[in-house]
Amino acid sequence: MSKILQVKDLELSFHTFAGEVKAIRGVNFDLNKGETLAIVGESGSGKSVTTKSIMRLLPESSSEFKNGEILFDGKDLTKLSEREMQKIRGKDISMIFQDPMTSLNPTMTIGKQIMEPILKHQKVSKDKARKVAIELLNMVGIPNAENRYKMYPHQFSGGQRQRIVIAIALACNPQILIADEPTTALDVTIQAQILELMKDIQKKIDTSIIFITHDLGVVANVADRVAVMYGGKIVEIGTVDEIFYNPQHPYTWGLLSSMPSMDLNEEKLYAIPGTPPDLLNPPKGDAFALRSEYALKIDMEQPPPFFQVSDTHYAATWLLHPQAPQVEPPAGIIERMRTFPGSRYYEATGGRA
Amino acid sequence: MSDVLLEVKNLKQYFNEGKPSEVRAIDDISFAINRGETFGLVGESGCGKSTTGRTIIRLYDATDGEVLFNGVNVQDKKTKAANKDFNRKMQMIFQDPYASLNPRMKVMDIIAEGIDVHGLAKSKKERREKVISLLETVGLNREHAERYPHEFSGGQRQRIGIARALAVDPEFIIADEPISALDVSIQAQVVNLLKELQEERGLTYLFIAHDLSMVKYISDRIGVMYFGKLVEMASADELYRNPMHAYTKSLLSAIPLPDPIYERSRVRTPYNPKDHNYGSDEHVEFREIAPEHFVLCSDKEFEEMKKNYVPKES
Repeated sequence: MSKILQVKDLELSFHTFAGEVKAIRGVNFDLNKGETLAIVGESGSGKSVTTKSIMRLLPESSSEFKNGEILFDGKDLTKLSEREMQKIRGKDISMIFQDPMTSLNPTMTIGKQIMEPILKHQKVSKDKARKVAIELLNMVGIPNAENRYKMYPHQFSGGQRQRIVIAIALACNPQILIADEPTTALDVTIQAQILELMKDIQKKIDTSIIFITHDLGVVANVADRVAVMYGGKIVEIGTVDEIFYNPQHPYTWGLLSSMPSMDLNEEKLYAIPGTPPDLLNPPKGDAFALRSEYALKIDMEQPPPFFQVSDTHYAATWLLHPQAPQVEPPAGIIERMRTFPGSRYYEATGGRA
Repeated sequence: MSDVLLEVKNLKQYFNEGKPSEVRAIDDISFAINRGETFGLVGESGCGKSTTGRTIIRLYDATDGEVLFNGVNVQDKKTKAANKDFNRKMQMIFQDPYASLNPRMKVMDIIAEGIDVHGLAKSKKERREKVISLLETVGLNREHAERYPHEFSGGQRQRIGIARALAVDPEFIIADEPISALDVSIQAQVVNLLKELQEERGLTYLFIAHDLSMVKYISDRIGVMYFGKLVEMASADELYRNPMHAYTKSLLSAIPLPDPIYERSRVRTPYNPKDHNYGSDEHVEFREIAPEHFVLCSDKEFEEMKKNYVPKES
């Protein structure tokens, strides 16, 4: 598996009137070719900021890279000039935004908007670009593309608009597609269609996807690997099965427990108490410690390093330290762990096929 | 038998009536909500679920049909005093906590607005105490009263919206997608809060949403809407175990669950209204397929469904 993107020790701050907000505090991850990496976490955890810094979409005036690098194609994206970055954006790395209502230009026909990146990055005639645009519309499932390509965004429904946004993002066959909550604004049925479309396209053009969402159901559906972010850091990263069936970090436990399950008739839904940390004054130790019933004394003093669980699975929690006390995860999590070979609760007989 | 608080009878809400652009947002729906229960209304955007909520609370005048609240028709002309009384008993929580709070008012005044209108506080001190106790009820604290909405996160703002609805001691609350704009962990907090308040105060909810997993969790009974019509209605468990209408099945099959192994094998069944293939002489209506389980279907479908109905138990 070849690594297409490497994010190393990334630290980024925003300068505000209130002071320096440390939005990203040391993020490391790799993106492999052809895989889908999901980044999950609640609002303010830094997931959107991470991807926006890859695209260099943050305002230069108020944001600052404090440390680290983002390696793509032998280049460090944090060091590129705006001109060099323009050659990458929309061509090698492109992005799908959350809200299809606002990410399209209401005064331009959708055909023109799809042709824009093609004309910008490839030396082709307008005629050829138009043909490509119509092909793309067909590919993303807009019926009657030859006629509809002359229409304006308001003439399309939310789901169709998101399809158009995807067509624009795919126009130059990008190597990396960043999708920032692409289905959060959509209905379940439309969401399912868009997810199916994205998986289909990924197979066809072999692109890597970074998928940002807070919906764990969507993650289970699309992801190969999952990174869980909290307070500007990745707290756990692993394959989708490792994260869902053998989670190690108390925050991941909390996230998984707060999803209502379809069969359990639990009386009360688990809610993670408290609010996310204030990144103006980030906590000294584990950022989640104050909201965690599993916090140890050391969590208040020192941030935990990454402990290796398996070749692909790492978690930043002191609970994995050899000297840490053995704790009992929530019941729902133990239930999940029972099905995972290699977890300490695994029951060979109870496992699913 | 349970005691009916709200009854919707053959409600119709057409926009641009009589014009070519006529939209039948609600097309003849009927249901009843019992005192103390939560009725969930689900469906995709544009199916008329929000319009239903808004017509019930009389933000729109209904085209036809009746909404009976405590046996009195909401849509009838009433005296000012009767209207005021009605407005006090029925309150609404809106979807977008960013748009539903006046950015130029302090939280104290936002919550106290209803108290002032209905004269529920005799002195300034009482007003203040009421607001503070409401803030504490919804999990905020007294310092928050002097702040403006922009100083709060989405989940906190939704709590303010809930406190505002509770300020006038309502019997019935319409919650129009109160959690769709929030994060998963915050959604759980707000849903738990709504449930607790229901137990403490005996509230009745109409819970409108498109997130079926949360609706199942909070609702006693659920109605599924499609293009202005109620296509299926049953208790929450029954609906999830034995969905009968093709649209309900399709909706359920579209929900992604936090379970990768299940997700790999999940097959979505798309819904095509043409599949029903109703003949012109067929009578499509709401029929009871099992006790308290209604499905919109034709005679033929009804027979078919009855045959195939195998109740699954938990």
